[in-house]
Amino acid sequence: MTAGASILAQITVAQQAPGLMAIFFAAAITDNILLTRFLGMCSYLSISRQMKSAVGLGAAVVVVTACTAALNAALYWHVLKPLGLEVSLQLILFIIVIAAFVQLLEMIVERVSLTLYFSLGVFLPLITVNCAILGASLFMINKDYQVVEGLVYGAGAGVGWMLAIVLLAGIRYRLRNAKIPAALEGPGITLIISGIMALAFIGFSGLIKS
Amino acid sequence: MALATLVVAGFCTAFAALLVVAERYLLNYGQCKITVNEGARRLDVKGGSTLLASLMGEGIFIPSACGGKGTCAYCKVKVLDGGGPVVPTEEPLLTPQELADNVRISCQVKVRNDISVAIPEELFNVREYTATVERIRDLTYDIKELRLKLIDPPEISFTPGQYVQLQAPPYGDNPDSVYRAYSISSPPSDESHVELIIRLVPGGICTTWVFTVLKEGMEVKFNGPHGRFRLTASDRAMVWIAGGSGMAPFWCMVRHLREKNIARACRYFFGAVAQRDLFLTGELAGLSKELGWFQFIPALSGKDQSQWSGERGLITEVVDRHVPCPDSAEAYLCGSPGMIDASIKVLQAKGFGEKDIYFDKFA
Amino acid sequence: MKQTPQEQQIAARMAPGVLSREGFLDGDRRALAEIIDTDRSAVESAGLTGEQLADGLEAVLKAAMAAMGREVAVGGWTARYREAMGRIPCPWGGCGVFPKGEVEMTQPTGGGVLRFTPLSVHLIRRHSFYQGRGTRYRLEPLVLARALGMI
Repeated sequence: MTAGASILAQITVAQQAPGLMAIFFAAAITDNILLTRFLGMCSYLSISRQMKSAVGLGAAVVVVTACTAALNAALYWHVLKPLGLEVSLQLILFIIVIAAFVQLLEMIVERVSLTLYFSLGVFLPLITVNCAILGASLFMINKDYQVVEGLVYGAGAGVGWMLAIVLLAGIRYRLRNAKIPAALEGPGITLIISGIMALAFIGFSGLIKS
Repeated sequence: MALATLVVAGFCTAFAALLVVAERYLLNYGQCKITVNEGARRLDVKGGSTLLASLMGEGIFIPSACGGKGTCAYCKVKVLDGGGPVVPTEEPLLTPQELADNVRISCQVKVRNDISVAIPEELFNVREYTATVERIRDLTYDIKELRLKLIDPPEISFTPGQYVQLQAPPYGDNPDSVYRAYSISSPPSDESHVELIIRLVPGGICTTWVFTVLKEGMEVKFNGPHGRFRLTASDRAMVWIAGGSGMAPFWCMVRHLREKNIARACRYFFGAVAQRDLFLTGELAGLSKELGWFQFIPALSGKDQSQWSGERGLITEVVDRHVPCPDSAEAYLCGSPGMIDASIKVLQAKGFGEKDIYFDKFA
Repeated sequence: MKQTPQEQQIAARMAPGVLSREGFLDGDRRALAEIIDTDRSAVESAGLTGEQLADGLEAVLKAAMAAMGREVAVGGWTARYREAMGRIPCPWGGCGVFPKGEVEMTQPTGGGVLRFTPLSVHLIRRHSFYQGRGTRYRLEPLVLARALGMI
């Protein structure tokens, strides 16, 4: 009787607490930071010309977003909140953390593995100003995620961003020989494609209640 | 408020310090040893620079035409060990055979650890020279002759036909110095001087500097001697064909042969469009008269040469008229790639073998 | 507009004072990809391809180089090859080096002057690049097409 009750209690708890997997999928698919929130579009539009660059840049975004989200969560909950400075300083400190982290990561990657540096590290300077990364940190705070949840959320957001740019690169490759009206060439048609992709991703929103 | 400022300042300082320390520790590759040609030379350099820059800093002058930007592929060096993975910018510049042989583009390879390389022997004789401009002479409206007096080292030894890489320093909008190759036109006997014949290239970095900035008395740097273009040691008859600033190596060669009393039958064809493009004609005509074995044949290809009593037509046509089928002769060419290609065709049609035709490959 | 690291490197090689005094972009502030796209659509709107323009230009180049400095008549224009020694690499890297020197095309009736180099032919054929506005060797695609008699 008590065994059954405790199992039931555990299942109820599991149902109520948002699982890490749910956070990850929400960040990657239904609440896609690029296609739903429209962040990080600058490099998304220009680097999606070639699949190889898209994959390299996407991978860099995943790593940086995950790590900086975790770092920023730690910074917020353990330094800023206790000091009562979270409202005024969160923006500027998140930016500083992201910039410093990217610099540090570039040096580490160059030292540790040259092959990794050539495929991923060369994109790191490009993403210092990627607003999706700052956005991920800020949204994570909005949702009151702690460090581990923040890490998972950041990873999910990064994966979602990478998914979007890789998909776009694939579509642009398919369209490379298509006759596009002159006025729409380049950014024009890319935004139209992105809009259609965003519409498709809305279809996922019914999957997870968050 | 004060607390907020303190926190921000504190974090900024902390991160800045972290980055400085990280750079010192992570990007510091320490001293690295470069072994050249299996021990012929051993260099001790500070790691972190490119292989090209490290070698040039130690006095080994690898040729380069694009200033280390990874596009001309002149700076190829064979890396025996310690080169690391091939940099993506190198791949399009190397053939599969070269990749298999560990040939690398030295301006793209960073020295991060001890490295062992193999370079052509002749590069060991290449030095960097500082010189002053003793004289700048206008030979035509777009060709100048530079006479340089060597300062350090004070003397140079080279084979007629070799070239030097002249350094054009940053000027105007140009951020970096650039090296361009010019054949030495003075004979080797004049050990303390180097003469160069330079033609203005529209939009050229180095030639524009020579024509607009360089003045007598100024100091210049160059490295050399480079190149394998030279006369053979045989006594076979020779045909020389040149145009424009291609005169340079031949002006050196003929004066050298005269000094050494080497009487090799030689016919020197010099092609130009109009009379204003000709230079040193008086001197060469004089040598023609003085030396029985040397004949100077200038030819003009432009229309309306009413004053001209010499040969007319494209230089290839003139060569075609004058040069008989060779039973034993050699041809030496120096000029623009178009002139060289056209001349090779004409000579081969006459029966000159590929190995009997010599030309400067850097042109 | 953001550029991939490769595009940044190519644009860096096109800067003044690296390969030539003026470079390939000079005052043109647009991103390289944008310059290429704009010119490519101009060519396509005229119903031509870059290959055709490159072929036509190469024919003029060959005729002028064969004349070695003498003027030749090519399709209503007068072309003259001003030779130079030395070779210039393609800014893309991996395409080899090309002879320096330029071809000047003038119309006998006065008016247009077009200038290009052996490298220009390669840049059009392989990279659809007509060089930045304001540079010495800039070829407006439609002006070039008209000069070659293609439109």
